[in-house]
Amino acid sequence: MYITGWTVALVAVGTIPAAWAQDRTFAWLWLLGALALAGLDALLAPRPRVLGVRRTVPGSVRLTERTATTLDVVNTGGRRVRATVRDAWQPSAGASANRHRVALRAGDSVRLSTPMLPTRRGDRDADLVTIRTTGPFRLAGRQRSLEAPATLRVLPEFASRKHLPSRLARLREIDGQTAVQLKGAGSEFDSLREYVIGDDVRSIDWRASARRADVMVKTYRPERDRRVMIVLDTSRLSAARVGDAPRLDASIEGTLLLTALATKAGDRVQVSAFDRVERARALGTGGPAVMPALANALATAEPALVEPDWPAIARLVQSRLSQRALVVLLTTLDPSAVDGGLLDTVAAISAKHAVVVASVDDPELAALEAGRDDAHDYYAAAAAARTAVESDAIAARVRELGAEVLTALPDDLAPALADRYLALKASGRL
Amino acid sequence: MSTTELHHATQGPGVVASARRRPLAIVAAVLFVALIATLVWTSRPEDYVTLSTGNASEDGTRAIAQILRAQGVDVRQSDTLAGARVTSPATSTLVIADSTFLADYQRDSIAEYPGDLVLVRPSQELLDDLDTGLRVTWSLDQEIVPAQCSDPDAQAAGEVQQLEEAVIAGARSTAETCFENGDGEAAYAVIDQGERRIAVLASWPTITNEHLDERGHAALGLRMLGRHPTVIWYVGDPFDPSTLTWSGSGDDGAAPPSELVANPDFLPPAFGPVMFMLGMTVAVAALWRARRFGRLVREPLPVEVRASEATRGRARLYRRAQASGRAAAAMRARAAMRMGRRLGVPRSAGSEALVSAVARAAQRDPRDVHRILYGDAPAGDAAFMSVIDELDTLESEVHRP
Repeated sequence: MYITGWTVALVAVGTIPAAWAQDRTFAWLWLLGALALAGLDALLAPRPRVLGVRRTVPGSVRLTERTATTLDVVNTGGRRVRATVRDAWQPSAGASANRHRVALRAGDSVRLSTPMLPTRRGDRDADLVTIRTTGPFRLAGRQRSLEAPATLRVLPEFASRKHLPSRLARLREIDGQTAVQLKGAGSEFDSLREYVIGDDVRSIDWRASARRADVMVKTYRPERDRRVMIVLDTSRLSAARVGDAPRLDASIEGTLLLTALATKAGDRVQVSAFDRVERARALGTGGPAVMPALANALATAEPALVEPDWPAIARLVQSRLSQRALVVLLTTLDPSAVDGGLLDTVAAISAKHAVVVASVDDPELAALEAGRDDAHDYYAAAAAARTAVESDAIAARVRELGAEVLTALPDDLAPALADRYLALKASGRL
Repeated sequence: MSTTELHHATQGPGVVASARRRPLAIVAAVLFVALIATLVWTSRPEDYVTLSTGNASEDGTRAIAQILRAQGVDVRQSDTLAGARVTSPATSTLVIADSTFLADYQRDSIAEYPGDLVLVRPSQELLDDLDTGLRVTWSLDQEIVPAQCSDPDAQAAGEVQQLEEAVIAGARSTAETCFENGDGEAAYAVIDQGERRIAVLASWPTITNEHLDERGHAALGLRMLGRHPTVIWYVGDPFDPSTLTWSGSGDDGAAPPSELVANPDFLPPAFGPVMFMLGMTVAVAALWRARRFGRLVREPLPVEVRASEATRGRARLYRRAQASGRAAAAMRARAAMRMGRRLGVPRSAGSEALVSAVARAAQRDPRDVHRILYGDAPAGDAAFMSVIDELDTLESEVHRP
């Protein structure tokens, strides 16, 4: 049961006759009368049970994109029902305008649409559907909540996809769809075609030209079907907030851009999110199915407040990769990572594979280091300098082990990683 | 269109079942309703002033006022002495009930009043000021006494019961006392002062609602009060500072300036019920807003800590420990790292190579550069800050385009 604002108005109107009667007993009687009328109204209101609801949810939505979930309401009773329906979702699902007024004749149904603008990645759960039926006097009614489970999967934003066209253009340059094409490291034989003016004479295949009447040139393309494995560290350091989002979100952006690029380049990408156990994985798919599968897998990846198990990561990489591959470790260069065995893992992996260790820089550290306002700022600058020197030392030790190190601000990590991949591909070190 | 089943609200347990499950709640609800009902029905009537004509309870006088009105007497109650405004004292009866709270200037104004007076439950001061020569006393025996006087009203009443109080006539009193007991205590007295007649009803409960229908009480009361077509009724009120007014009194009834007291009657009579009703409106509005439209939805929030928190903590530690040497070393190492990178000096090269490269770039004395980059650890905040400022200057010189 609930009462509406009309009941309050009815009681308030009683002030006028109460002022005229100048009698408190009258005021009491008016109040009790109004409440009794509201109670009668609630009794006369249709039972919420006669309304059936059905939720329909779009499969998934990208973070910051709008969508709508629908709620079908069916009147299974024999009376006309006037009601308000609240389609409750958890706050980060961004379900605005989720209260709907409906008026349904017996047997009628209506489809309500609740606009959604999710503010967090992951699985956003629907809560109860609450139904308020209104009595004939609109003074009061009945209320009941019911379960109608539904889940909306919110995929990572992939804001870095704006960098994809320029990187694909670079990839095509390397790829040989542009005029200059030379055989070299990292390229493989593609096809024979007729010589046209402007082709490098060194690429003429004399044996093929002898067989044919025309002069033939060999064309090359970068090696394809290389393996790329991306390991996201989801341990406690990935939970730290850099700018507005945790480190993990920047890592996910980098993963998505690199995967999109490498898949276009014809390489096979597998992704694993790992701390002490594997939290998410995307492997074994190819072609256009890769990106949806990856976004889906990473949607629910959350940082865990545990130390990463670096030896287990080394074992995981070795078990997943049989041939030489590019292994990208998206982690944090922090002294504690060294104690935990980061260096041993990098050494173990880089013996067989090309390794890139990518880490998200904190823009706040740069701001701290530049602060010169008072004595406290000077000490903060010194502390930031100490942190920077330490990470630099770790980066130097990782480089000594033969791995590449990449540190970038959160927004720059994804394009920097893509550039590093293209550089490796161009130089044939993949 | 989805093919999933429709969800329905589950059937509640019903009123009877839930009552059986939680009997205490039902008992509490019944008690609450009973309490509210009791409060409503036993709430005292609006007027509960003793001897007031609006008071329907035992010590009120609504009954006798209604009888008088039925007999064609205009009974008007005034809350203040100033409100009496007796238009013709010759054809009016002024009733002063319960005069305990009257101040001396108020009693003086009553003493000057030319018309007939009825004093119910008079105070000793008022009797003295009106020069009655009567003395108030307690009447504890509740004797039933006959009239025993020549006053026709008293004779008509026959006998009354002495209740609460009585008066005793002094030696030089001109008052005719009626309903005397053996000790000379009278329930009623009449003083004829020529132009006016003062009736004193000391045994005041005789005209209250409770005792009016006993013995000769009604006859006495009605005859005493019904001598004139108009009755002005005043009940003593400690919050009334005004004086008596009548046509020709030459007074507007205002209290002397020094006697003004706060008077709660400045509020209109409807104020109480209106405030009560507004309060109830607020309570109902609270009920309206308090009912949630479905439960609050939980949001499982991830743990998020600013990444720079550890660095800030380290800064506070440096500061608290006054570790200026260690802090300066960190700044020097960082500056050397940056300048070395800028000038292309490898990390493996020694300090001398860096110093000479920096000195060349900044066009400074190498010893000066060495002092800035590898000098003694500064002691104290001031020295530490000056080292950093020197480092900043050096770096800006090196990074100059």
